[in-house]
Amino acid sequence: MIATAASNRRRQRIFLIAGAILAAYALLAPLTSLDAAQSANVPLLADKFWFQIATNIAMFIVMATAWNIIGGITGYAAFGNVAFFGIGAYTTGMLIAKAKWPFLLALPLAPVVAAAFAALVGLPLLRLRGHYFAVASLGVGVAVGELVQNIDYAGQPVFGGASGLFLPIFRIDNRGLFFFYLMSAAAALSIAVTWWMLRSRLGYGLIAIRENEEAASVLGVNTTAYKVAAFALAAALTGLAGGIFSQWNVFVNQDNVFPITYNIQMILMALLGGTGTVFGPATGAVLLYLLIQFLGGTLPISFDLPFVSSDARPIVAQVILGLLLVVVVIFVPRGVIDFFGGRTRLSVAYLRRSLRETSL
Amino acid sequence: MALRKLALLAVAAVAAFACGTTSAGPTTGSAIILGAPLGLTGSLTKESNLTLQGYNLWLDWINAQGGIVVNGVKHPVTLRYYDDTSSANQSAVLMQKLITEDKANFLLGPYGSAATATDAAIAEQNQIPMVEANGAAQAIFNQGYKYTFGVLSPANKYLQGVVDMAATLNPKPTTIALLSADDNFSLEVANAINDYAPGKGMNVVLFKKYKNGATNLTAEVQAAKAAKPDIVLNSGHLTEAIAINKAAKEQKLNAKIFAYSVGPSTPDFISALGSDANFVYDGSQWTPQVKYTPAFYLSESDYVAAYKAKYPGLGDPDYHVAESTAACLALQRAIENAGSLDPTKVRNALAALDVTVFFGQIKFDPRGINTYKPMVVEQIQNGVHHTVFPATVADAQPMYPTPNWDQR
Repeated sequence: MIATAASNRRRQRIFLIAGAILAAYALLAPLTSLDAAQSANVPLLADKFWFQIATNIAMFIVMATAWNIIGGITGYAAFGNVAFFGIGAYTTGMLIAKAKWPFLLALPLAPVVAAAFAALVGLPLLRLRGHYFAVASLGVGVAVGELVQNIDYAGQPVFGGASGLFLPIFRIDNRGLFFFYLMSAAAALSIAVTWWMLRSRLGYGLIAIRENEEAASVLGVNTTAYKVAAFALAAALTGLAGGIFSQWNVFVNQDNVFPITYNIQMILMALLGGTGTVFGPATGAVLLYLLIQFLGGTLPISFDLPFVSSDARPIVAQVILGLLLVVVVIFVPRGVIDFFGGRTRLSVAYLRRSLRETSL
Repeated sequence: MALRKLALLAVAAVAAFACGTTSAGPTTGSAIILGAPLGLTGSLTKESNLTLQGYNLWLDWINAQGGIVVNGVKHPVTLRYYDDTSSANQSAVLMQKLITEDKANFLLGPYGSAATATDAAIAEQNQIPMVEANGAAQAIFNQGYKYTFGVLSPANKYLQGVVDMAATLNPKPTTIALLSADDNFSLEVANAINDYAPGKGMNVVLFKKYKNGATNLTAEVQAAKAAKPDIVLNSGHLTEAIAINKAAKEQKLNAKIFAYSVGPSTPDFISALGSDANFVYDGSQWTPQVKYTPAFYLSESDYVAAYKAKYPGLGDPDYHVAESTAACLALQRAIENAGSLDPTKVRNALAALDVTVFFGQIKFDPRGINTYKPMVVEQIQNGVHHTVFPATVADAQPMYPTPNWDQR
């Protein structure tokens, strides 16, 4: 027993060190030799495509980690978090495109507006539980997108309507690098907030709510305030990502910033990585995003599917993705983060136990 | 002094070498890579596949010729495309991949206005020309972007052809009832008519908006009937066009012209309405019947034949297919005119382009959209689509005026 614990601790340390080295490399490599690496044709690290992929990954780390605060730690399955992403994007987008604010001044308002909206709808919404909350939050997510597109004043669309908002292109040297680091900072912030939460009174209160809301209430946890705070915090982080996205992507409309698929992807990422943990959702975001791109054939490392024509490939890729996710959710219910850090080991016994636990 | 002499010698040597290679006649050069993200899965699958068909038709033709001739050298063409799952954000990722990883020389557009707008910003930042055929929203072209060109007529032109045609008819209609769905594209179409018709001596006596996707438009048709218009215009989509035509028959709304922006050109319109579809007009980007004088590539009839040979069982090519092929033709001619694969030179050649192909005239205004090609007007006559306006490309006369419902 003692030997296992010691070896577990050793493995945990190895994973931590390896993770830190990887993260440091990913963050620092682009800095050292942007032009040099471009001309030397170093794959993955220094070209604009890598920034695009890496910035998207950072964006999903923010969204999955933020979802984890309400969905994983508090246990309220929010299906409409993309609304906060869209509100953040539209807040920054409107301030830049219509009010001509500079980007760095407009960005801080994105999380503020998103959090205020979350607090407002959270008060009635968080009285619902389980499936009812999930469906209601999904409704809010869809409704906000429709509202933003269709609100008119004096015959003119207020938020750009169906044709959306065009922001001026942010002219800056190494634009890709700038947005990559900005989005990475948001990702680091969201992970830090989660880390702090799990060690704070707020976090303990939220976990108590997840495990048994009545008991938590009896113990003196102000459940309404705690839940709304968690919801608003998740919204603020998601809104921040939306705000950065709006200037990075230049174009904002309903299709872009209220995509229903993001709702599902951020939840899957958190589930895949491990809900309720600090690094789980981030791990899930990296894995799932790369998996999606890999199956889509966009990564430098690609593969050919046997017996599948190039016409049918995109469809088959979607089917494989769906099947893989089903398998992972059934067999690894606590997320892949379970294997890092030495708590469990991937084994046949583990898979059989998981199957037994998830059987309907 | 010696240095300068040496430099001169070097320049002379390079020049001689260059002349030597160009005078050797057409040889095969490096492949030109074109890139396009397309929604091969997801909600835009149907239209994206039509777009791809249009690209592929041209690709087969140009490579059968040996490729695009640049300064006497033939460059074969390859098209790289990826599935963007009908998501504008994934389209942006793929666009960057096409530029950075695949080293695409030039870009072709995705399907849809949202993806086109996102990709236009990427093309602009990378200064690679993108020729698109499937984003008609004018907002894309009002941003001052220099590297995006659209070969199709913008939304505000959709029903202007009908008004132009009406002005030539006898007895001349003078009043218009205008119904419009409340989405951006439809409103752009309708607002343009509201501004345009008075200049042609016609009054808009009713302008009524309804919810996009509505299936019961009885109240709107009642209001139109009360206004007693000569022309009933609808700016919407297939479902609304069918609903209006049905309600018009039930309510006995009679007018000299019924014209709908989108819908009548599809086979579904005729199959849903049967003989009630007769006499209805619509505006279309292109029809298989148009007669232009192409400067190169195929004639209209050869194009239809080529499409049917490559994609048997799908009927005539849809206008999505034709405009996508036209985008390729614009790019090809611009590369030839530029005599170079340099993105900026090709961009300038695109801006200066003026050529007529089977799709019509392709010429871009300073914003980069083709405002020179007219929309054509189609009419359903005895269950068959005929092109009736402009007269220079028409294959039939308009059947005018539309008889009252009780006399059909």
